[in-house]
Amino acid sequence: MHTNEGGSELFDNLRLELRRGCLAVAVLAQLRTEYYGYALRKALANQGLAIEENTLYPLLRRLETQGLLVSQWREAEKRNKRFYRLSPLGEEVLANLLTEWQQMNSALERILDRVPVTQNE
Amino acid sequence: MPTTKTDALDLLNRYLHAVKFWLPKAQQQDILAELAEDLHSQVEEREAVLGHRLGEDELCAILTKRGSPLRVAAGYIPEQRLINPAMLPAYRLVLKITLLWVLLPLLVMVFIGQLFTSAHAERVLLLFWAEAGRTVFTVVGVVTMIFALLDHYHGTVKGLDTWDPRKLPRVPFQPDTSARWDQLAGFIFGMLAAVVWVYFLSRRTGFSFPGGPVISLTPIWAYVYWPILALTVAGAAADLVGFLHPGWSSIRSRVRIAIDACMLVLVATLFTSGNWVRIAASTLQSANLSQLMTWINASIQITLALAAVIIIGDAALEIRRILRLRAHSHTLTQLMT
Repeated sequence: MHTNEGGSELFDNLRLELRRGCLAVAVLAQLRTEYYGYALRKALANQGLAIEENTLYPLLRRLETQGLLVSQWREAEKRNKRFYRLSPLGEEVLANLLTEWQQMNSALERILDRVPVTQNE
Repeated sequence: MPTTKTDALDLLNRYLHAVKFWLPKAQQQDILAELAEDLHSQVEEREAVLGHRLGEDELCAILTKRGSPLRVAAGYIPEQRLINPAMLPAYRLVLKITLLWVLLPLLVMVFIGQLFTSAHAERVLLLFWAEAGRTVFTVVGVVTMIFALLDHYHGTVKGLDTWDPRKLPRVPFQPDTSARWDQLAGFIFGMLAAVVWVYFLSRRTGFSFPGGPVISLTPIWAYVYWPILALTVAGAAADLVGFLHPGWSSIRSRVRIAIDACMLVLVATLFTSGNWVRIAASTLQSANLSQLMTWINASIQITLALAAVIIIGDAALEIRRILRLRAHSHTLTQLMT
């Protein structure tokens, strides 16, 4: 039998898995416009997608290593900041990812429409 | 109380320095510059909201929320693995088999004999545990290294993708999985019995006790010595084969029944000879000697009768197992059709 803590931990793990892929897509999509790290995080948060710094910066670095982003150090607001934007390869991959995501989303919506969500007492 | 700009810089520098310690060298400066910029931005924003320079506690709160230096640095280190997770079941199986093949001979061949002959049995046991620990450590290390190298050179991943369903092993006709562990136990006890048999009866014609009687074995023991040893080892080998190849369970059971039949013949031969030992004791009176003879003969008689019962029981179990396997096989065939 699962305890409440166990259920909560399970939910957290599943939520983490669910978010992991979505965050990469969201970051790529947001970086169609150039942002530096801190501004990017605020922009995502303003649109309802809060993301921890410890998740965002390593993710940006990984996406850049994979060639999906390009970055440049530049002075802005009297300090050196690293600006990121989508690379040509990133644009191509993002388009494919969005198609994939839309297909999954449509499938999920169809499944949810067919099977009504029930609340267990 | 608000901190001075120098205090805030000092605290931030200490934090960045601590993060730097854990970062990969090639990326240290780049990551730290970005991290420093982000923290400065956060501090500035917070100061703008509060309308004053941040106090030490407020600055600490920002750093605490960001996470310990080790945690922050860990995020930048690519996920590493020693063994491909897809290979973990194979890794566990290889580890079990290798440990079994290394530890069992170590126990049976090297230490059991010494345990009986040594005057310091506890020292032998201690030595065994030390040696077993060292062996387990080495075996686990070597097997892990081989799997890590396979993963590194992608050898196994290719194998995983190019498989042929026709080469999958047959479904073992063994409804009772606990039987496998019985077979492992049978192998261990069979080998132990063989060692004990060799130790007590190899080239032995009798037992002498200091200041007591001399018990001589009659020639019947020399006659049955090799057949019993051979059957015991064969039984252990059949159990090992049954354990390693569950699909051969039916063949194993047939071999065991044949071994039991031969063993029963040997026990019957021994039983009917009725003359197992001779006793010579100059210190004993004839009445006592006769009593001792009766006692030893009765003990051997009971032991042989018990052995016969056990052998018949084992054969009956094997027959039952064959019948159950046949029934299970029949059910499977019906399910497939």
